[in-house]
Amino acid sequence: MTLRINTPDLAFAVFLIALGALALALASPLAVGTAAAMGPGYVPRGLAILIMVYGAVLGVRALFSGRTAMPAIEWRPLLLIFGAVALFALLLPFAGLALTSFALVICAGFAAYDVRFRENAIAAVILAAFAVVLFVMALGLPIQVWPW
Amino acid sequence: MDLIANLFANLATGFSVALTPANIGFCFMGALIGTLVGVLPGIAPITTIAILLPFTFTLPPSSSLIMLAGIFYGAQYGGSTTAILVNVPGESSSIVTCLDGHQMAKKGRAGPALAIAAIASFVAGTIATIVIATASAPMTWLALKFNAAEYFSLMVLGLTGSVVLAHGAPEKAVAMVLVGLLLGLVGIDVNSGSPRMTMDLMDLGDGIGFVPIAIGMFGIAELAVTLGKPQDRSLLAVKLRDLWPSWAEIRQCIPAMLRGTTLGSVLGVLPGGGAALSSFAAYALEKKMSKNPERFGRGAIEGVAAPEAANNAGAQTSFIPLLTLGIPGNAIMALMVGAMMIQGIQPGPQVMINQPDLFWGVITSMWLGNAMLVVLNLPLIGVWVALLRVPFRLLFPAIVLFCCIGTYTANNTVFDIWVMLVFSGLGVFFYKVGAEPAPFVLGFVLGPLMEENFRRAMYISRGSSMTFVERPISAFLLLLTVALFVVLVLPAIRAKREEVF
Repeated sequence: MTLRINTPDLAFAVFLIALGALALALASPLAVGTAAAMGPGYVPRGLAILIMVYGAVLGVRALFSGRTAMPAIEWRPLLLIFGAVALFALLLPFAGLALTSFALVICAGFAAYDVRFRENAIAAVILAAFAVVLFVMALGLPIQVWPW
Repeated sequence: MDLIANLFANLATGFSVALTPANIGFCFMGALIGTLVGVLPGIAPITTIAILLPFTFTLPPSSSLIMLAGIFYGAQYGGSTTAILVNVPGESSSIVTCLDGHQMAKKGRAGPALAIAAIASFVAGTIATIVIATASAPMTWLALKFNAAEYFSLMVLGLTGSVVLAHGAPEKAVAMVLVGLLLGLVGIDVNSGSPRMTMDLMDLGDGIGFVPIAIGMFGIAELAVTLGKPQDRSLLAVKLRDLWPSWAEIRQCIPAMLRGTTLGSVLGVLPGGGAALSSFAAYALEKKMSKNPERFGRGAIEGVAAPEAANNAGAQTSFIPLLTLGIPGNAIMALMVGAMMIQGIQPGPQVMINQPDLFWGVITSMWLGNAMLVVLNLPLIGVWVALLRVPFRLLFPAIVLFCCIGTYTANNTVFDIWVMLVFSGLGVFFYKVGAEPAPFVLGFVLGPLMEENFRRAMYISRGSSMTFVERPISAFLLLLTVALFVVLVLPAIRAKREEVF
């Protein structure tokens, strides 16, 4: 027997069921109430169940709708850009905007396959300076610039 | 007569707000950075608006909305510029512009193509501004007849419209709307005060932030996906000397612009409508009307003028349901609602009545934004072309940085950066499985509003869901919804739709 699974559709269906289940669990302590006087849990629970049922229908259909592979994921840009964002969140509270911006640009720069070291470093310095001038000096946003 | 006198009085109020030097400055800034980010290939107007959204938050409400209007038009026009010069449509509404615009550019007529796009947008914008100003008063009157049941049904219709117009599989778009509605409910319940689905995180008390979602899904996720694709960016040379189209060409385009504007103005008001649908319809109409349709697709100047006019008129009249009923018709309008709510404005009929300065100021600033495009973008075409030559590897780290700073400054908390990261991941996942983020965002914004109106309607009717079909306006709206769904499943239209998107 050949498998006729549509993988992207199945993945989406599994996501829907998981999300619905999570929402149902999180909403379980909330009062449901009646249709005339709904409690805070009425609509979330209804939506969660609807999403799970809908996901189940899509999932069953995906099993028989013809073999389709998941599209390939380019991991390098994905991980480096997400890494750069995470770096920003981790560093900003104590390293200040200047160093954080520098680190983010260096990290994100390597997401491009045609990255050039010197060019990237220069871009990082310029962008860090620009961010500080624009956001802290010109717009006056309350962000710490240096770690000290 | 009274109506016209009123119209002029209202527009005068608006211009007195929009034409202060500071506000002209903000509109100019908005149009400038909107175009600056919008011309970058692979960055759609909605991405541009999402990225730039936080920078308007520090301004007073009217200035902030005026700057947003500038960004909105700048982003739209930036998309057209890329479509013409690089043949990379930033969004579905620019696909049509690519057809003839890029052909013109290939023949060395990029200048006239860009100029006619700006002129057509301006003409359409001027007419659409008057349409909005005239249509808003009766719409507001209608809105005052709306009760909870009607609002609920109208939102159902709007969400259905967004499903019809989403790319890819409609059944996935329906799921995305539902997921959006569900996530929109996270946070403290207004009726009972109890926190819902917050996982005991204090930061989620006010709900999941709108800015991190929009920037994560449209900004970061798009970038991560775009970088993985091979990029064809063969840029065509623009001779700036022959920038202007000839008079004969402009005359040739006038009927096309007017037809495009009419079509766009009508289609833009429809829930879920707006720019994309309008430009496709206008292009098809011009091709049908033309004496020699074989010119289309080979650099016909009307083929640029009509869809650009329609696109702009549609984009503008899609503000009508937002400003009068408080209901965003498409994902870009959903971003605008997010921006307004952060400014403490709940869009809806009461804005026009209680804050006429703000309401008319925004309407006139739309026209101002269009005018900015003509005076700003045409002389600066050289700058945009230079920007297109900057390697993408230098531009995108800057965009990532601005996304992060923008998200952080919206609430001054690092928590939002993590939320953004989660939604960036989800955005990539949705992209890979072929689910559109636009219906999700619309659902997310409408979620709390829909629940509130649903609960109120059911409370008034003592728990009878028949109330939605017993009230005539509500029943009519639901009937339209059913009609839309029928259209969606009809095989003939389905085939056509796949061809278009």
